[in-house]
Amino acid sequence: MTRRRLPEWLVLLLPAIIVIAAVVLIPLLFSLYSSFTPYKLTRPSTLWKWVGTYNYEKILSDAKFWAAFGRTVLFLTIVLNLELLLGLGIALMMNKVTWGQRTLRTILMFPMMFSPILVGFQFKFIFNDNIGLVNNVLQSMGFNAALPWLVDGKLAMFSIMFAEIWMSTSVFAILILAGLFAMPRDPLEAAKVDGCTPWQSFRHITLPFLMPFIYIAMTIRSLDVARAYDIVQIMTGGGPARRTELLWTLMSRTGYVDARMGLANAMGYVSIILSILFTVYFFRKLSAARAELGMAG
Amino acid sequence: MTEVTLSNVVKKYGALQAVHGIDLDIQDGEFVVLVGPSGCGKSTTLRMIAGLEDISGGEVSIGGRVVNDLPPRERNISMVFQNYALYPHMTVRENLGFSLKIAKRPGAEITEAVNEAAQILGLDELMDRKPAALSGGQRQRVAMGRAIVRHPDVFLFDEPLSNLDAKLRTQMRVEIKKLHQKVESTIIYVTHDQIEAMTLADRIVLMRDGHIVQVGTPLELFNAPVDTFVATFIGSPPMNLVDGVVEDGQIVLDGGVTLPVPTTAGRLSEGQAIKFGFRADNLMPAGHAVDEDGAVYELDLAVTLTEPLGTETLLFTNMAGVEVQGKMFNPRPVRPGEKMNFRLMLDKCHVFDAQSGHAIRR
Amino acid sequence: MDRNQAHRNRRRLLKTAHFIGLFLTMLVICVPGLWIVLNSFRPTVEIMAKPPVWVPSFTLDHYRAMFAGAGEGGVPVFSYFRNSLIVSVTSTFIAILIGMSGGYAFARYRFWGKNSYFVGLMLFRAVPGVALSLPLFIVFAKVGIIDTHFGLILAYVAMNVPFTIWLTDGFFRQIPKELHEAAEIDGCTRWQAFWKVEFPVARSGVASAGIFAFLTSWNEFALASQLTRSVGSKTMPVGLLDFTAEFTINWGGMCALAVLMIVPALILTFIVQKHLIAGLTFGGVKG
Ligand SMILES: Nc1ncnc2c1ncn2[C@@H]1O[C@H](COP(=O)(O)OP(=O)(O)OP(=O)(O)O)[C@@H](O)[C@H]1O
Ligand SMILES: [Mg+2]
Repeated sequence: MTRRRLPEWLVLLLPAIIVIAAVVLIPLLFSLYSSFTPYKLTRPSTLWKWVGTYNYEKILSDAKFWAAFGRTVLFLTIVLNLELLLGLGIALMMNKVTWGQRTLRTILMFPMMFSPILVGFQFKFIFNDNIGLVNNVLQSMGFNAALPWLVDGKLAMFSIMFAEIWMSTSVFAILILAGLFAMPRDPLEAAKVDGCTPWQSFRHITLPFLMPFIYIAMTIRSLDVARAYDIVQIMTGGGPARRTELLWTLMSRTGYVDARMGLANAMGYVSIILSILFTVYFFRKLSAARAELGMAG
Repeated sequence: MTEVTLSNVVKKYGALQAVHGIDLDIQDGEFVVLVGPSGCGKSTTLRMIAGLEDISGGEVSIGGRVVNDLPPRERNISMVFQNYALYPHMTVRENLGFSLKIAKRPGAEITEAVNEAAQILGLDELMDRKPAALSGGQRQRVAMGRAIVRHPDVFLFDEPLSNLDAKLRTQMRVEIKKLHQKVESTIIYVTHDQIEAMTLADRIVLMRDGHIVQVGTPLELFNAPVDTFVATFIGSPPMNLVDGVVEDGQIVLDGGVTLPVPTTAGRLSEGQAIKFGFRADNLMPAGHAVDEDGAVYELDLAVTLTEPLGTETLLFTNMAGVEVQGKMFNPRPVRPGEKMNFRLMLDKCHVFDAQSGHAIRR
Repeated sequence: MDRNQAHRNRRRLLKTAHFIGLFLTMLVICVPGLWIVLNSFRPTVEIMAKPPVWVPSFTLDHYRAMFAGAGEGGVPVFSYFRNSLIVSVTSTFIAILIGMSGGYAFARYRFWGKNSYFVGLMLFRAVPGVALSLPLFIVFAKVGIIDTHFGLILAYVAMNVPFTIWLTDGFFRQIPKELHEAAEIDGCTRWQAFWKVEFPVARSGVASAGIFAFLTSWNEFALASQLTRSVGSKTMPVGLLDFTAEFTINWGGMCALAVLMIVPALILTFIVQKHLIAGLTFGGVKG
């Protein structure tokens, strides 16, 4: 009879699986292993020394790590929420525009095309305490002090968040706008006739309809949260005095500057788990929201 | 010669068995309609013939050749889908010519075949439009055109008219029938609409739950249904069924009416529970019937509701406590509650076993 | 009367607020980018001037220096541009092929554990580039493909495949399966049915997936900064760092390179911007 063959779906998926296994899975397994060794790039033999969970114990008892970890979670929470709110606001404003909407929408997509590292440099330039646009404008307006945007811890954190929000709010705005376009008019009109205030009809009709779109945006964003690394690395490098240190900058410093790969990979795993938690969380929300609106494929 | 033969064809979806061993012989040039309620396995059967669905058991042969494992393109069939499945990125012309282009026919031949099909279906004006710019009826026509361009051995139709409005449906029904007379190919046509089945078919295959219940010409199914399912599925309005028992060689309906056993009925045993069936056409008030020959049973019934249809009027009434429908030709106005003298044509009545539902016929 | 007047006033107020809000939003979005463009045309002395010079003068010095190549302490921009182009285009092309085949499998076949496979694939995309760059660097160094186009292309393909699968899956799912069945009955093989019917119909989805893959590769830094070392393989995002010295940054030159980086992305995005939004929403919401 016929030879046993792989099912077609597997044949079709195989290239994807192979590539991902080769480029992501194997290195990750390697790094998982090396996170149980005191591996240092400069001394390859250290790769064969098993230290068990020493690295993990070390980072878990390290105040610097916990500070970076806490700051990362805080950073993501603030940034994602602000992006969502701003994106929602922008989308609602754009939806009301009657003239030149296409052009505005195109402009809105600008930041999506910028490389994160470019965004980093751009804002490093703009927030530069000496020649930056912001300080120049402030001084021309009569403020005499040059604000140390990237040198003061709090201001630096603000600048970084600003850059991050500038870069990523568009994703929310664009997707929510698409949701607004796809929204049927009848329920809104019915609500108006039934005497809902604008706020009530937004709260009970528009927002529930937009939820799946918001979750897609969240999911897409959560895949890329670590792009903030590029920005921070360029703008402050985690400084001043580790005031803007995030998990990712700490990891890269430990790995590349201190060459302590084992330790860095242990941190890497913490960051991977963090990313995965975000993604899984929003993926589930997305499926739930889809099912609720009966959009499931 | 392209007869299509199914022998003991089975389809399983995992644990669910959708088709239970179907046997069917379809002659060359025959128009066969598969009909039955939703979910009975009509589409599945058709798709197995087309090669779109694996066959779990049994054999399908087309033109004497077993095709179980052949892909659709090697079966020389064409198919019209319920939602038409027109290629949205191609014009009508390209849609029609696609199969010939795939077969690498010369351009002149393609043009000729496409033009011929367009002519038959009246598509000439629409050739350069995309499907999105067509109305439902026009799309339907393009789908048919795509099927006839190739001169296939067998046409398969899966509910091709169900997305059209009632008027268009009647019109396309006629066109399909004309088409069949013109191309003389074998046609297998799936529908759940018994009127379509009756009007189009040379032979009807009535299915239920993955089984064939009855195969025959439309009149055979209409006049001699094998069981109560066929009796109520075919014909509009559905056949009236009244419960009763056999007593002293007569039929006693549950509400108390006693009738002689119809001449068509087979052997009945004393005390057997039966269903007594007759069509509205066979219960008519005196003076309003078409044909009053044969054995007739007269009874007075009060009309509860009327449905005038023009040349005839449907009369709703109660017989032995069951609502039944009669009919009146040359209608006159009837007041609800009016008593009329009905004549039941016993020669055309049916008796079914109450338990199995099978017809008891001579 | 009064109430009508009140409502009219309120509407006018809202309209003004709406306009101001939009204006500010657009301002915040546009100014940083325009500032970069503007400064790429200003002489360095003017950029560094204190107090600031507000009336800009115009010079092409930075571009001249940039394109003059490595000779006068400049940056080998041409090589970087070429590397970026080769790596992005090739990796996008391959990622689309692989991703499309995977997306098709998810859209058209039923198999056990499909959803888990899907989420699993997406999770690989969520692995932060920095976290991946450490081990990938070591593995690539062992295999000997560090500092090559091939290595970077491979990394980007793996990075882009999951998202491509997500988008194309959504698009193929939009296409009724009767379409390829009709094509098969019309005499196509499965392969022909895909390329002649399903692919053309899903074109805009594929285009948007392509744009996303391209932008990701074109803009990526964390991996590229580790996997490339020399002029022969460094991409533009990495090249930007060439303008930074220990304590000083050549702002003008950097702005010029930044402009060079953004322009192709801008052009490409404009061409397919309609598909871009459709791609995201179809792929995500309905998929
Ligand atoms: N891919 C499938 N997987 C599992 N079960 C299926 C599949 N396709 C059909 N079935 C089941 O097989 C049975 C027969 O389906 P089929 O589509 O043949 O019905 P049908 O007679 O064409 O009905 P309709 O008139 O609604 O089109 C149904 O119970 C259906 O649920
Ligand atoms: Mg069906």
